Amino acid sequence: MNPAPDDPNLRIAALTAEIDDVKRREAAFRAKMVNEFLDRGERNSYLHVLREELAGLLRRQQEAFADMELFTRMLEAEGQEKAALEVELEGIRRSWLWRLCAPLRASGSSPRAGSPVPPGGSPVKGGVFTYYLHTSPFRIYREPTFTLRGWAWPQDGRAVSAIRVDLDGRLFVGRHGLEEPEVIERHGPQPANPRPGFEVTFETPPGRHLLSLEAQLEPSEWRSIMKTSIWCVPPGA
Amino acid sequence: MSADDAHERWRNSTGTLGDRSAYKRVWDRQARDFDVASLAVAGHTDEPTMDLTARGFIDTLRATVGLDRNDVVLEIGCGIGRVGKLLGGECLQWFGADISGGMLGHAAARLQGLPNTRLVELSTVGLQEFPEDAFDLVYCTIVFMHLYEWDRYRYVEEAFRVLRPGGRGYFDNYPLDSEHGWNVFTEGARYPIDRRPAHISMASTREELGIYLSKAGFEAVRVVDLPNQLIAATGRKPGQGARRRP
Repeated sequence: MNPAPDDPNLRIAALTAEIDDVKRREAAFRAKMVNEFLDRGERNSYLHVLREELAGLLRRQQEAFADMELFTRMLEAEGQEKAALEVELEGIRRSWLWRLCAPLRASGSSPRAGSPVPPGGSPVKGGVFTYYLHTSPFRIYREPTFTLRGWAWPQDGRAVSAIRVDLDGRLFVGRHGLEEPEVIERHGPQPANPRPGFEVTFETPPGRHLLSLEAQLEPSEWRSIMKTSIWCVPPGA
Repeated sequence: MSADDAHERWRNSTGTLGDRSAYKRVWDRQARDFDVASLAVAGHTDEPTMDLTARGFIDTLRATVGLDRNDVVLEIGCGIGRVGKLLGGECLQWFGADISGGMLGHAAARLQGLPNTRLVELSTVGLQEFPEDAFDLVYCTIVFMHLYEWDRYRYVEEAFRVLRPGGRGYFDNYPLDSEHGWNVFTEGARYPIDRRPAHISMASTREELGIYLSKAGFEAVRVVDLPNQLIAATGRKPGQGARRRP
């Protein structure tokens, strides 16, 4: 037999269930409110900013250690290749052909003589700059492009009118004239270069390259700020 | 010299009370190794014993302030998450707060897989990381013996603030007038005065705990003896939604 629709026990049970449901939803709202409060507080705190910076530094340190290991392996491989080439050269020097060509070499007609610029080398002259690079170029390049950021001015007081990267003869023009208020505050006003910041994005195809970071100085002379060899590896290598 | 000047010079001349107040440093130092951390906060290192004592404490909570499946709960000084590991399964959400990030590191490992638990490192004494009127239950167990009295009261005040109206508070310590409490007291007294460790246990009196809760604004304040030789002070934040005491 079904209970009557106005059975007080049924109504009490239904109301109790409804009250429990309201309590559960109210408690869930408060729990959500606490979580959101914590998330917001965490994001806004200086401690959180410092932790983020620390995590970033640790990541960069690990990358630097990995790069160092790779550089060491490359150095070892270069050393082995050099030793093998020296053995090969010694063999050539002992050969009768080498002895036969001795008069030719003495006359100065070496096939290497007269090459003005080494292959891949930038013809731009070096300059004396005060500079700093926020993104260090001394790394293993694993991405298809890289952005070099920093600031620079020539010590002769001339204005920088353009910035570029020369990578094995390929030129990548960057942006210059970016604000660096903390640098100016520290080094004093730079009348010719009040905004000494720059950034240059360049491609990094796999292989070894010669990188030259260059600035155009007034009136239109290009000078190299720094040069270095770089090694680029395919992504994930 | 004016009275104000004298006060200022006196304030400047006072030294610190020692390392005991540097809770973060003291407890982070003890948290470097999991076993040392377990001993420091629970008195043992094996997981079954920790679960057993945690289960005993949850029964104590149920008997003194009540527990509900829909409770949003905060533990002050959760250490390695001894209680939270089990209590997380018996409430809507459990929050564990501790001043030692090192202890919370161990707690995070023990609470893996419990989605309704969250750990929060306190920046200093107090619950400034939490909003007011948020929790159904705030408790603090096996912590007060390591705090100075002013800091005990600070946590009681803060618990009152973060409890919702009708929410319940629970705080325990060794009572000075029990055999165990007196032993703890005399052991501490035997240390050379300059070599007392910063984390040394200090008992409470029943009056002390009751006064803290009353002064903070709790109502229905009670101080009860527990089977494990502790005393617990409990109270309720006035307002709507008061729950009938079990």
